[in-house]
Amino acid sequence: MLESLQYLVSGFAVAATAQNLAYCLIGAIVGTLVGILPGLGPIAGIALLIPATFGLNPTSALIMLAGIYYGAMYGGSTTSILINVPGETASVITCIDGYKMAQQGRAGPALAISALGSFIAGTIAIFGLVLIAPPLAAAALAFGPPEFASLMVFGFVVLSNVTGTSLIKALMMAVVGLIIGTIGLDPVTGNERFTFGSAYLLGGIEFVAVAIGVFGLGEVLVNAAKPAGQLEGRVLVPRFRDLYPSLADLKRAIGAILRGTGIGFGIGLVPGPAPVIATYASYTVEKRLSKHPQEFGNGAIEGVAGPESANNAATQSAFIPLFVLGIPFGPVTAILLGALLIHGVTPGPLLIAEHPQLFWAVVASMYIGNFILLLLNLPFVPLFANMLRVPKKVLLPLVMLFCVTGMFSVNNSILDIWMMLAFGALGYILRGWAYEGAPLLLGLVLGPKLEVAFRQSVMISHGDFGIFVERPVSLGLLVATLLFLVYPLVKLAWRALHRKPVAPAAQGDAQ
Amino acid sequence: MTAAIALFVFGAVTAALSLQLPLGTPRMPGTGLFPLVLGVMLMGLAATQAVRLYLARPKPAQPATGAAAAPLPKRDGATQRVVLFMGAVVVATALLPTLGYPLTSFLLMLALLRVLGVRKPHVAGAIALGSAIACYVVFVKWLMIPLPSGWLGF
Repeated sequence: MLESLQYLVSGFAVAATAQNLAYCLIGAIVGTLVGILPGLGPIAGIALLIPATFGLNPTSALIMLAGIYYGAMYGGSTTSILINVPGETASVITCIDGYKMAQQGRAGPALAISALGSFIAGTIAIFGLVLIAPPLAAAALAFGPPEFASLMVFGFVVLSNVTGTSLIKALMMAVVGLIIGTIGLDPVTGNERFTFGSAYLLGGIEFVAVAIGVFGLGEVLVNAAKPAGQLEGRVLVPRFRDLYPSLADLKRAIGAILRGTGIGFGIGLVPGPAPVIATYASYTVEKRLSKHPQEFGNGAIEGVAGPESANNAATQSAFIPLFVLGIPFGPVTAILLGALLIHGVTPGPLLIAEHPQLFWAVVASMYIGNFILLLLNLPFVPLFANMLRVPKKVLLPLVMLFCVTGMFSVNNSILDIWMMLAFGALGYILRGWAYEGAPLLLGLVLGPKLEVAFRQSVMISHGDFGIFVERPVSLGLLVATLLFLVYPLVKLAWRALHRKPVAPAAQGDAQ
Repeated sequence: MTAAIALFVFGAVTAALSLQLPLGTPRMPGTGLFPLVLGVMLMGLAATQAVRLYLARPKPAQPATGAAAAPLPKRDGATQRVVLFMGAVVVATALLPTLGYPLTSFLLMLALLRVLGVRKPHVAGAIALGSAIACYVVFVKWLMIPLPSGWLGF
C-alpha cells in the first residue's frame, strides 16, 4: 500500500510535466467533444486519434487516449440532459431524468450534479485502481496459457450475454471477429492464412479500420439515413449562473453518487460494456431505494447522479483487467490495448513491474484529468452545449472527412480507407439487423492472443485438452462460462414452465 | 433470416478454406485448426439462429380487406441517402491519389453537404472550402501526414 502511494507520487511527477499535462488536457477536451457530439463515440474517437499519437512516447500517448475515454463519459451526459440525445451509449439512461429536469428549467443543477458525481466517482475509482492493480498483477503472474485462454473465453461469453438483446447474435459476432483476426500470418508458425496472395493482408486486418468503420462510419451512415428534419433538435443551453445545485439537490444526490461509484467500480472489473451496464444497474438500485420512486422518470436528481457516477467509476476500473491481465473486457479497452501494442507496450501481469513509469503516470494523469474535466464541464458547459448548435448536416460530412483522413494516417495507405469503407458498410448493415459491433471488435483484437494461448496450452500438455480443467483457476473460469451459457436456457425453460406470456420479438431479431 | 444465412455461408467458406491449410496434430495444432473450429462454430450458431427464427416466424396474416388494409410503409429516401453518401466517399477515395487531398476533401465535403440537404451553393461552398483548408492545415502542415498531393502538387 505504502509502496503503491510512493509510486503514485512519482507518477504525478511524470504526469505533471508540461507536455503530459497538455496531452491530458487535449484528451479531456477531445473526450468531452466526442461525448457531446452524437455520431462519434469513444471507440471511433480513440481510433481516429491513435495516428496522432505515433510521434509521442507511450506514456503521453496513453495519457491522451485514456483522457478521451473518461472524458467522453463526462461529455455524454451533456447531450442527454440538454437535447435528450445520448452522446454515447453510457449516457442513454441519463436522458430519462436529465432531460426532464432540463424541461423543468433545471438543466443547470442536472449538469452540475452529473459533473460533480463523475468527478467523485472517478477519483474514488482511481484510488481503487491503485489499491487493487498491484496485488492483482502479482496474483496474475501465476496465470499460464490455459488460464488466459479460459479467461478470454469467459470474457467473450459474458460480453455476449450482456450485449444487446440476443446471446446467440453476440456470440456470432464474436466468432466473426475471431475469424477476421486469423487473417494474416499465423502467430505461432508464421504461415500465411487467408491472404489470397495479397501483401496487404499479410499484416492482418487493421483493427483501426474495423473500429472506425463499424463504430464511426456505421454511426455516420445511420444518421445520414435520417430525413433532414430529424437530424436537428432543440438545444436548451443553460446560463453559467444557473449551474449551481441547491443544498437539497446535493443532499439527495450524494448517496446516489456513492452507491453509483461502488456499483460502477464492481461492474468495471467484469467483462462487458461496463459503463453502459453500470448506468442501468445504478438507476435500478436508486429507484428501488428511493423514498419517492414516483419521481423517477419525472426529473429525479438521483436518476442523473447515480448513473453518471457509475459510468465514470466503471470506466476507471475497466483499466484494471486491461493493465494487469492484458485482456480488455470491453470494446474501448480493446482499442486501447491495440494502441498500446502499436507503441510497443504489452499490457499484462508484468506491465507494472516492467513499465512502472507508464502505469503510475497514467494513473496519476487520471486524477489530473478528472480535475480538468470537472473544470471543463462546469464553467464551460454552456460553451460545449453551444457546439450542439452545429447542424448535423454539417457535422456528419466533417466526421466523415476526419474518418477518411484519420484512416489514411494510420499506415499512409489508401487500402486502409477501402478497408474502413467496407467495414463501415458492414457496420451499417449489422445495425439494420440488430447485430452488435462490440463483440466483433473484441474478437478481432483478442483473436490472436486467444489462439496463441490455446495452442501453447495444448503444446504444454502434449495434446491433452484436459489441461483446461485440471488447473483450478482455468476450471473455475470455464464453469463460470458454462453457467453464463446455460443461464439464458434455464430462464427460457422457467418461463415456459410458468407459462408467462412471451413479449413479441424485437424487429431486429427477425435477422 | 438473411443474416443467419449469410453468417452460415461465411462460416462454411472459412471452414472450407481452413481445410486447405495444415491442420497439424493435437500435440502441435497447425495453421488451419483454429479457423476451422471457428468456422464450424459459426455454422452451428448461425444454423441454430436460423432454426430459432423459422420456429418463431409469425403466422400468415389474415387477408386485409377494404379500409382495414395496413398502409404501405413510407419511403423516406433513407436508402437513397445512404447510397449517395457512401457513393460520394467511394468516388472520393478513388480520386484521392489523382486529385490530391485538398481538392478531394473540398469536393467530398461539397457532395456530402448536398446529400444531407444543404441546398444553398454558396453556403455549401463556404463550409466545404473552410473544412478543406482547416483539415489541410491540421493534418498536412501541422501533423505532417503525407496525404496525396495529386495534380495541385501540395
